[in-house]
Amino acid sequence: MLTVLISGLASGALFAAAALVYNVMFSTSKVLGVQTGQTAMLGGVFGAWFIRTFHFPIPLALLGSIFVGGVFGFLTDLIAVRRVLNRSDEHLWLLSTLAFATITQQVVALLWGTEPLPFPRVVPQDFSAGLLDQKYWLPILTALALAAGIELFYRRTLYGKLFLAMSEDPFAARARGVPTDRIRALSYVISGAMGGLAGFMAGQLTFAYFAVGITLSLNGFIALAVGGLGSNTGALVGGAALGILSAGASYFIGGEYQNTVSVGLLMVVLLLKPAGLFGAQVARPV
Amino acid sequence: MTLRLIAFSLVLTVAGAASGKDKEPIRIGWLSSLTGPQSTSAIAENKGVEFAVEEINKAGGINGRPLQLVTRDTVSDPKTAVNFAKQLIFEEKVALIIGPVNSGESLATIPVVAKEGVPNIIIGTVDELVDADKYPRAFRPINTNRQWIEAANEYALKVLKRKKIAVLGDTTGYGTSTAKAATAALEKEGIKPVYTALIDQNKTDLTDELKKAKDAGADVVMPWSGNTGFMARVVNARGDMGWNVPIVGHPTVMAAPLRKLVNKPAYLDNIFAAGYSSMTYDDKGHLPKATKELQEKIRPKLGGGEIDYSFWWVALGYDTVKLAEHAIRAAGGTDPAALQKALENTKNFAGVYATYAYGPKERNGFPDKNIVINQANSFKDGVYRAAPR
Repeated sequence: MLTVLISGLASGALFAAAALVYNVMFSTSKVLGVQTGQTAMLGGVFGAWFIRTFHFPIPLALLGSIFVGGVFGFLTDLIAVRRVLNRSDEHLWLLSTLAFATITQQVVALLWGTEPLPFPRVVPQDFSAGLLDQKYWLPILTALALAAGIELFYRRTLYGKLFLAMSEDPFAARARGVPTDRIRALSYVISGAMGGLAGFMAGQLTFAYFAVGITLSLNGFIALAVGGLGSNTGALVGGAALGILSAGASYFIGGEYQNTVSVGLLMVVLLLKPAGLFGAQVARPV
Repeated sequence: MTLRLIAFSLVLTVAGAASGKDKEPIRIGWLSSLTGPQSTSAIAENKGVEFAVEEINKAGGINGRPLQLVTRDTVSDPKTAVNFAKQLIFEEKVALIIGPVNSGESLATIPVVAKEGVPNIIIGTVDELVDADKYPRAFRPINTNRQWIEAANEYALKVLKRKKIAVLGDTTGYGTSTAKAATAALEKEGIKPVYTALIDQNKTDLTDELKKAKDAGADVVMPWSGNTGFMARVVNARGDMGWNVPIVGHPTVMAAPLRKLVNKPAYLDNIFAAGYSSMTYDDKGHLPKATKELQEKIRPKLGGGEIDYSFWWVALGYDTVKLAEHAIRAAGGTDPAALQKALENTKNFAGVYATYAYGPKERNGFPDKNIVINQANSFKDGVYRAAPR
């Protein structure tokens, strides 16, 4: 039972990290980019590549993955978001980010192949540690650190406050001289770096695998919707709930029901509490 | 005089046209998932297919006609495979189609190809794919799932003498159907598995499932999945738990890409999977002559060094073209009905991967006796040693 819990928490932490990535992007652009899972995929694939091919030390490889994630985030804004937002109020970003995600996945498949590749140990540890194995604890600690870091960023830094201002009212923020395009680009860089970090830390669970992004995008979105859009606490709780429920469903009912349970959870929460567990419905005076 | 000249010219023209047609390339369609999630085996098979075509053409083609390979990448997607099958038939006018190379795509394309009466050599293991009545021109050189399952069950029950079996499958169509077929085959032998589970192939940790199997008293684990990551997680969970239970199952559990994913090389000990006598070292460490010859001939095309992936994929690809060549020679051309007849009459056609035999109602050419059980930890130069008996 404890195995199910820890194993579920570990995969749930990865979903929570994806939900946090969504949150950061959403705060400045109101876009829920489908490429979210690909940022983590890139973190895993590049991390393994840096270590296995170039023999980077682990900290350098980690920084490399964060950097790649940040660049990917910047390119997402540049190619798939900025122009779409400037030209249309419709949700065309859904298509543009989906296209960008698909292209990214295909390029990775062509360059690294379609079989999963091994991800090395991040800290020295034997494989007999059982539930204390780093493959469980690294994603959990990473998700907690990301949530705490982003909260501190929002509360303690000027840029964080600008993110919040744009989140509240982008037009008012722009009217007051906030360079909204640059702030949005920065949010995409930060979210990409967060995804790269999460993908690296969960690499031992997911392997370095080109197709892991789609699952993460979907489950990250479910975690976000369950926890409440915009809430970092909600992202953590939603991710953990989803991970534990999925693992529990697979263990107690059968793997064929795992996805039914996760999507079912989303429907139940949305029916009972449409704003999610920790989401606030904002009434906007007009 | 003028009439004679005209008649002579006409004879020359017709003769010229006829001889031109005699030299026309024979177009062979090749539907292969060269990219996408199921590309690893297809890329290896493609090496064998291309090499066989090159070899035949170097030797003067078939009755003076070169083979022309028309390759289409199905990107591991059944819809794309169907579109390309139609293109190969209607636009490229191929004489015969090899592929698709997996069951999911084959399920979608076989009826389409069969409807147009084009001969089809398919590479998918799901038993239901071939049917002499519904798809009379679809012939299968690869083994069936039944053959893999029966060999693995026989090894677990009769050689290892295990009775408490845990059957694991992934939740894809292939994983589910194969795990169910394996369970049914065990039940036919009077064995009810102590634990059966279908697991999402993307599930990142399988420790809980293995623990459940252990708690159920399993003394052998039989996983059925074509997914390398899934199989590696089964192997790693068993190893990390320190549970030295034998694993007997699908060839993916000993495939070359999986070896890189296991936490320790020792985790490959006590793992056995269905393989082929043609791809197995004998007691003295020798391979069958045909396998050795193909290895040496094709080695430069595979990078020149030790072969780092399952060689049976390459040999199977090579054999599909050789089988097509055999049928075209026997039929004396590319008439579809004659090709069907030629393949139906094929007996003991010695390939590298297997020796094939078909019949008027038999579309599975791979004989049971060519299946053996291999040891996962014995991989060397693309092939394996036999499991101890």
